[in-house]
Amino acid sequence: MSTGPGAVAGSAHDGEPVFELRGISHSYGRNQVIFDVSMAVWPGEVVALVGDNGAGKSTLLKIFAGYQRPTSGILRFMGREVSFATPADARGIGIEAVYQDLAIVDQMSLWRNFFLGKEMVRTFGPLRVLERRRMREAAGNALAQLGLTRIRSVEEPVWTLSGGERQSVAITRAIHFGAKLLLLDEPTAALSVRETRNVIASIEHAREHKLGVLYIDHNMSHVLPVADRIVLLELGRVVRTIDRGEVGLVELQDLIARRDHQADG
Amino acid sequence: MILRRDGNTARVSPQRSANRTPAAASLPADRARRVLAEGILGIRELAPGLGLITVILFFSLQTAHFWSPQTMTAISSIASTIGIVAVGVTMLMISGEFDLSVGQNFAFTPIVWALLFVTNGINEWLALIVALMLSCCVGIINGLVTTLFGIPSFITTLGMFFVLEGLNNLLISGHQLIMFNPSAAMSLLGARITGTPFYMPLVWLFVIAGIFWFALSHLRYGNWTLATGGRAGPAKAMGVPTARVKRTNFVLSAFLAGLAGCMQFAYIHGVTQAQGQNYELLAITAAVLGGTSLFGGTGTIWGSVIGAFLLATIEIGLVLIGVPGSFYVTFIGVILVIVVIANVRLGRFGSSQA
Repeated sequence: MSTGPGAVAGSAHDGEPVFELRGISHSYGRNQVIFDVSMAVWPGEVVALVGDNGAGKSTLLKIFAGYQRPTSGILRFMGREVSFATPADARGIGIEAVYQDLAIVDQMSLWRNFFLGKEMVRTFGPLRVLERRRMREAAGNALAQLGLTRIRSVEEPVWTLSGGERQSVAITRAIHFGAKLLLLDEPTAALSVRETRNVIASIEHAREHKLGVLYIDHNMSHVLPVADRIVLLELGRVVRTIDRGEVGLVELQDLIARRDHQADG
Repeated sequence: MILRRDGNTARVSPQRSANRTPAAASLPADRARRVLAEGILGIRELAPGLGLITVILFFSLQTAHFWSPQTMTAISSIASTIGIVAVGVTMLMISGEFDLSVGQNFAFTPIVWALLFVTNGINEWLALIVALMLSCCVGIINGLVTTLFGIPSFITTLGMFFVLEGLNNLLISGHQLIMFNPSAAMSLLGARITGTPFYMPLVWLFVIAGIFWFALSHLRYGNWTLATGGRAGPAKAMGVPTARVKRTNFVLSAFLAGLAGCMQFAYIHGVTQAQGQNYELLAITAAVLGGTSLFGGTGTIWGSVIGAFLLATIEIGLVLIGVPGSFYVTFIGVILVIVVIANVRLGRFGSSQA
């Protein structure tokens, strides 16, 4: 099922999408990189953005996260039209971007990271005293739910964790604080097989909690088992959306390779 | 500032690749080594504490005078003032900035205080408040210039160093301000504690260190300070007002330097513009010996207090065993470099420095 301009990819769903792009175009100066893209992510749905370098995946993700304002087009969050002046605006309404090296302070302990910016405090006059025990317990419980068994203590500084574990921490934190949409930029890049499995488990955890998940990934064997829908981008346009089970791994790889080849020619 | 710039880029850009290299994270042996290092030094004050004990033992064995009241007075007074300055500098360093103007502020504030109440007969408490407010203004300017113009605090506060040096010279032009009859305020800040060889600054050191230890580990503000110096970008993304945190720490650092300077004046009953010479570097040294990272994000208050005692003990100890006084700074320089190398080797400055 391919989508023409204006049609919303994946419109077979019921209810309101978490986030929707309608007729989005974007240019950096004179260089247009996104052409009239319309797509949506529903609650509890995992959508993968795939495509070659320069296809516009990162720019689209930045538009979702509020890092870029599209040149034209409409953004709708939970049915309401929105526009973001800063990424903080996007965060404020529940859009959480989890990049491999973002939003985690390495030197700080797990629980301090987990509650950073949203600390549980008791107020004494001008003082905000941390409720350390409560935060430790809450962070420990949230992480245990996810089965992060390698994480022994919430007192461990985050730099003792692996890249995959850090992402799982960030994802768990987003779920815990009620995010509606999770954005992931190549969450499995350069991770070991087991770590990849952990990250995928936390993505599935987010889906169970009815978050919408949008992510970029290059590894089709990681995309295929997780994604409910795959949106294939080429030179700034959505050229195809593929529903779960519609194609197999070999087919998908062939599809991208063929597209790449065409794009090169 | 070249040092810090390098540190920052080294911390931010290769992080990505470091995270992505499985060897950096998932090799069990490597991970075990790190956790072990963190575990042994889990109480971060342990290493500098052992260092201090070693130094004390060494000098105790070398000279019979080490435990004399005179030595105790000398060591504790030096450690107190350097320690109080170092507490403020530590907070600031943890949030990722430096203050090179604390040494000059350490003279400027008591000069203003003494000029107002000794020379001009203004009420001593009022004069003290005015002087301390001026020291806070120094911090406000340091903080605003650094955060608004986005320039390295190394430069901002180096500029402030020269500004204050000139002001101090202008204010007392090489003279000494003396107050032989200690006033009530001076007694509170610098009198001898009866029945001991110790003076009030030592008490204030522990009070102030206690307050800031609590602030750093138990207040939301401390959490924000750690995050701001750890990685400002993510901290900001998570809603931490990083610029405000830095500005506040500039003010705290300047205030404590001024307050410690007033204690020094109250203790020795006089002030010259040479007071506090090298204190900006000694305070940073105390912080680093105590385990505070030069790159921000980690450090402890008690570690810096221990670092201040290390400096003072070595300074007095060397004199006691008859080493020429000028060797003190040479010795400290060597120790400082060795400690930083050891810290970097143990990876205590964060993952990417390891």
